[in-house]
Amino acid sequence: MEKLYVNAIRPDGEVSTVGLFYSRAEAEKIVAMLRDIPEQAECRYEIVEAARHLLSDRQAESILRMRTDL
Amino acid sequence: MADPVLAAMVHAMGATESRHYAAVKPVIQAYRASWVKLAPYRDGAVNSQRVTVSDPAAMTAQIKAKAAELGADMVGVCRLQPHMIDLGSEVPHEFVIACCVAEDYEKVTQGADAVEEEAMRSYAKCTEIATYLAAHIRAMGFPARAHHNGASEVQAIPIFYQVGFGELGRHGSLINEKYGASFRPGFVTTDLPLVEDQPHEFGVQDFCMNCNVCQRNCPGDAIPQNHVMTLGIKRWLIDLEKCYPYSRLRDEYCHLCVDVCPYIVKSHPETYRAFMKERKQVGYKTPKTY
Repeated sequence: MEKLYVNAIRPDGEVSTVGLFYSRAEAEKIVAMLRDIPEQAECRYEIVEAARHLLSDRQAESILRMRTDL
Repeated sequence: MADPVLAAMVHAMGATESRHYAAVKPVIQAYRASWVKLAPYRDGAVNSQRVTVSDPAAMTAQIKAKAAELGADMVGVCRLQPHMIDLGSEVPHEFVIACCVAEDYEKVTQGADAVEEEAMRSYAKCTEIATYLAAHIRAMGFPARAHHNGASEVQAIPIFYQVGFGELGRHGSLINEKYGASFRPGFVTTDLPLVEDQPHEFGVQDFCMNCNVCQRNCPGDAIPQNHVMTLGIKRWLIDLEKCYPYSRLRDEYCHLCVDVCPYIVKSHPETYRAFMKERKQVGYKTPKTY
C-alpha cells in the first residue's frame, strides 16, 4: 500500500504534518479540504512518500509466533 | 465501510467485511446496537425558555457534576476550535464538553474478549452520558449535540489535550496521569456559557521518546520509532496497514498498546506488573524494568 505524508508549511517555514495517508487520491482530497479552510489559507502543502518499512527476519519470525499467542 | 484503508485491505483479502466485525460476539453486538439506537437523539429541539446564566463558572461546575452523576470518570471543557472538527463537517457551537469513562484495567488478565467487552461497555456508557447531557442542556434552552461512537463530527485527541486530560503518547492515544490510555470518550458541543479548562502536561511526550514499551509489544510492529511534529506536538503516526491485521482482520480484539502503557502502573501496580511478566514470558520484548 502506498504511504504518503501530507505536510502543511507555514509562511515562516514551519512544517506541521497533517497525517499519514494510504493513497494519493486520499492525500489530495485532504489537501483540497484544508485549502478550503480560511485559517489554513496561508499554508502551502506537500505530499511526500513515507519510507517503506521492511521487516527484519527476526521481526517477521516474532510476528508469526505472536499470531498463535494472542 | 467508512475507513478506506480497512476497505482496501478487506477487499484485497477477497472479503466484504472485516473479520473481526463479522465474528462479533452477541454482547458486543448489543453494545454497538446501543449507540446506533441513541444516535437519532444526539441533537433535537431546544427549550424556548432559556435559563439565565449569570455565573459561567457555577454553570460549568453544575454540568460537570451532572456528567459525573451520569457516570463520567472525567469531565473537561474547552472552546471548540477548527482543528477539533472533522474536515468537511460543521459544528456551530462555541464549547465542547469532554466526558470519559475509564476501563476496568483488571480485565487485561482475562484476555482479549474481556478487554474488548470492557472497551465496548465504556463506549456505550459514554454514548449514554453524552446523549443525556446534551438533552439536559437543550432543556435549559441552549443548543447541544452529543458526539459518540454512533455519530460524531469531532476529534477526540485535540479536545482531550485542550481540556487537560493529558498528552498524546507514542501509541497514538492520549495518556492520562491516572488512567493511562485506558479510557473512552463521549462529547457534547454546545453554546451554553462555560469556563474553559487548560491543558495539563506532565512529561508524557518526553517519556515516550525513551520508553518504547508499546512499540516493542505491538504484534504488528505498527508503532513507529520516529515521530513527526504537528502544531508543535510530537505525533507517532500508527501504520494502519500493519495494525489492522491484528486489530481488524482477525477474530480477537487487540488493545495491547493501551494495556502495556506504563502510565497505568500507578493506579494498578500489581495487575500491571503481573500482566507485563506474562507478556515477557510469551516472548514479547518487555523491558526488565516493567
